[in-house]
Amino acid sequence: MAEREPNVAEEESTVAEPRTIDHYLHTDRFPHIWCPGCGLGTVTAAFLRAALELGLEKERTVVVGGIGCSSRAVGYLDFGTVHSIHGRALAFATGIKMAHPEFTVIVLTGDGDGAAIGGNHLIHACRRNLDITTILFNNNVYGMTGGQASPQTGMGGIATTAPFGFDEPSFDLCRLAEAAGATYVARGTSYGVRQLQRLIRDGITHPGFSFIEAVTQCPTEYGKRNPPKGPVQMLENLKEKAIPRKKAEGMTPEELEGRIVTGLLHRDESVPELTASYARMLERVRGSADE
Amino acid sequence: MELWYTHLMRESIDQDSLLVQGNRACALGALDAGVRFFAGYPITPSSEIMEVMARELPAVGGVFMQMEDEIASICACIGASLTGEVSMTATSGPGFSLMQEAIGYAIMAEAPSVIVNVMRQGPSTGRPTTPSQGDVMQARWGTHGDHPAIVLAASNVADMYRLTIAAVRFAQRFRMPVILLADEIVGHMRESFSPEIAGRYRLTSGDFDFTETYTHPEMVREVHAPHELGTLIHPHVTGLIHDETGFPTNDPKKSEQFLRELHDKVVHHRDELCLYDVKNVGKGRVAVVAYGSCARSARAALKLAEQEGIPVEVLHLYTLFPLPVEIIQELARRVEFILIPELNLGQYAREVRRLAENWTTVVSMGRVDGNLITPRDIVDRLAELVGKYESS
Ligand SMILES: Cc1ncc(C[n+]2csc(CCOP(=O)(O)OP(=O)(O)O)c2C)c(N)n1
Ligand code: SF4
Ligand SMILES: [Mg+2]
Repeated sequence: MAEREPNVAEEESTVAEPRTIDHYLHTDRFPHIWCPGCGLGTVTAAFLRAALELGLEKERTVVVGGIGCSSRAVGYLDFGTVHSIHGRALAFATGIKMAHPEFTVIVLTGDGDGAAIGGNHLIHACRRNLDITTILFNNNVYGMTGGQASPQTGMGGIATTAPFGFDEPSFDLCRLAEAAGATYVARGTSYGVRQLQRLIRDGITHPGFSFIEAVTQCPTEYGKRNPPKGPVQMLENLKEKAIPRKKAEGMTPEELEGRIVTGLLHRDESVPELTASYARMLERVRGSADE
Repeated sequence: MELWYTHLMRESIDQDSLLVQGNRACALGALDAGVRFFAGYPITPSSEIMEVMARELPAVGGVFMQMEDEIASICACIGASLTGEVSMTATSGPGFSLMQEAIGYAIMAEAPSVIVNVMRQGPSTGRPTTPSQGDVMQARWGTHGDHPAIVLAASNVADMYRLTIAAVRFAQRFRMPVILLADEIVGHMRESFSPEIAGRYRLTSGDFDFTETYTHPEMVREVHAPHELGTLIHPHVTGLIHDETGFPTNDPKKSEQFLRELHDKVVHHRDELCLYDVKNVGKGRVAVVAYGSCARSARAALKLAEQEGIPVEVLHLYTLFPLPVEIIQELARRVEFILIPELNLGQYAREVRRLAENWTTVVSMGRVDGNLITPRDIVDRLAELVGKYESS
């Protein structure tokens, strides 16, 4: 296993011209598949601006997606990219990171990909505290397959597979991640892009498992069936519902009903990161073998 | 004959002959073949493979992961493989079923990995500690879509060692997953293992040298660019149909070309991939084609049958897929009938029948009560069949 070194540029001033996010994009792959008004591009751009801020090296950064509209982002990114299979992005990423701890590994996943079919991998990835940053694009629906209910559709939500209203409660994904052992947990929205960029940036530099829920809009498959209609209205709705964690702290559960608590929600630097503990174990084992 | 058992030598007391368990031999073969990443989930009768890997990999600086299930295990192996690491996992029926979707991904993405399936009786939980060869066709066709497959079958402890090496080498060379089938008998038995014993079980193949040190084998021509994540190429890897750039394409021409190339890289190298051993070539009136633990019985049956006046040829297959088409068809031209003993209801017999039926009769001898097919069973059946064909 290779040495761990932070994957960040040493001096930003060495960059001659200010780069734009195009630096990290395969613009020749455009037009992208996303619908007009979709929030996935906004979240992806927030990630790329965070990558620019950090000066992530393309050669040492691997981005893994699952399957879904959100996971398709990897097809436009100029890093090492893996478009894997539905729900299993974190399992692929685990293999990549364990084999090469020096890589910066990012996982892009959806609410169906990450919380339904991939839910088991998500909680185990949190538990392992492997240094991977996961951005879960939560649009409350299975966008790619045409508007079926997801675990995040919410009580009463209308979906093609819940035509009379969905009867099941959702996860609080951030509390789930924290309880499962993630050592950095944050939530942002596609309205609050500056905040989201900052949360993602800090998640990437955090040496442990980082989980960032990005609440976003799918006007085509969710918005069509659930109020408010239209991308602008959906964004305004995100703006109104979002509430910073600090403000939310003094509020009652009733007052917080339906609100989206944003910001850094949990951070713990005391838990050992897995590749580091594994490296120490190797040293121990190999050291004793030499004696 | 030096390297190909460095690990076994290390633990031997009597260096000429050692008593080793099949699953252990498999793990040691993996280490000698250069496997440095193993991810798995416990399941009988394969668990010893992962237990040995857990103990031995750290000493060579490798990564061992016990994952949350078999899907995660194979996916982690593919992930590691995409960074250039040599990876392997081991499982049994239920776990093998869970891995199927990801195996298809590895075929599509041309990501090498080895999957060992120590077969137990199924379907479902079946009889977990009972031997079976019921997963042969699943190994060929388990994942969806038209796809090529490389499937090997181990018949003894020596095979567990050397076929694991072969599987690793084939996977790297052909950039695809390779499946090594064993059964509970082969996985759990302990038998003495020496170069002489292994030498009696000759592997016939174009240019495969098991005594070679592991080196990155040259890749076959049809293979698309290898993806090493974390290199200057920073490639894109996808399970979508893609062109030589690695990016998805919907172009019908390119789609067809890609799928055909995936197949061709295996079919065009059948000579190299088909490992087998024929006993009594051209001297038998009848033949037995066998693999895995049944091949042991078939080899033992050869002498017994001769004593009883039935000259028999035995074709022992180490490679089940790609199908050894020419080898089976040549055999079919020589003999009155072919008997196929296997611990299932005739899965491989069906494959052989469709290759051989123009020239000879293929008789399936399946057993699914959880017991072995003994050499006696085979000879009795041969005698019955000889009588039947003579009187008719
Ligand atoms: C094993 C498997 N089951 C089902 C599918 C079909 N499928 C593709 S994407 C998807 C849902 C994606 O939803 P989400 O993760 O929320 O992504 P979104 O499209 O909303 O961004 C499903 C069910 C699949 N590709 N693989
Ligand atoms: S279906 Fe929804 S999530 Fe998918 S691209 Fe369209 S708007 Fe975006
Ligand atoms: Mg979704």
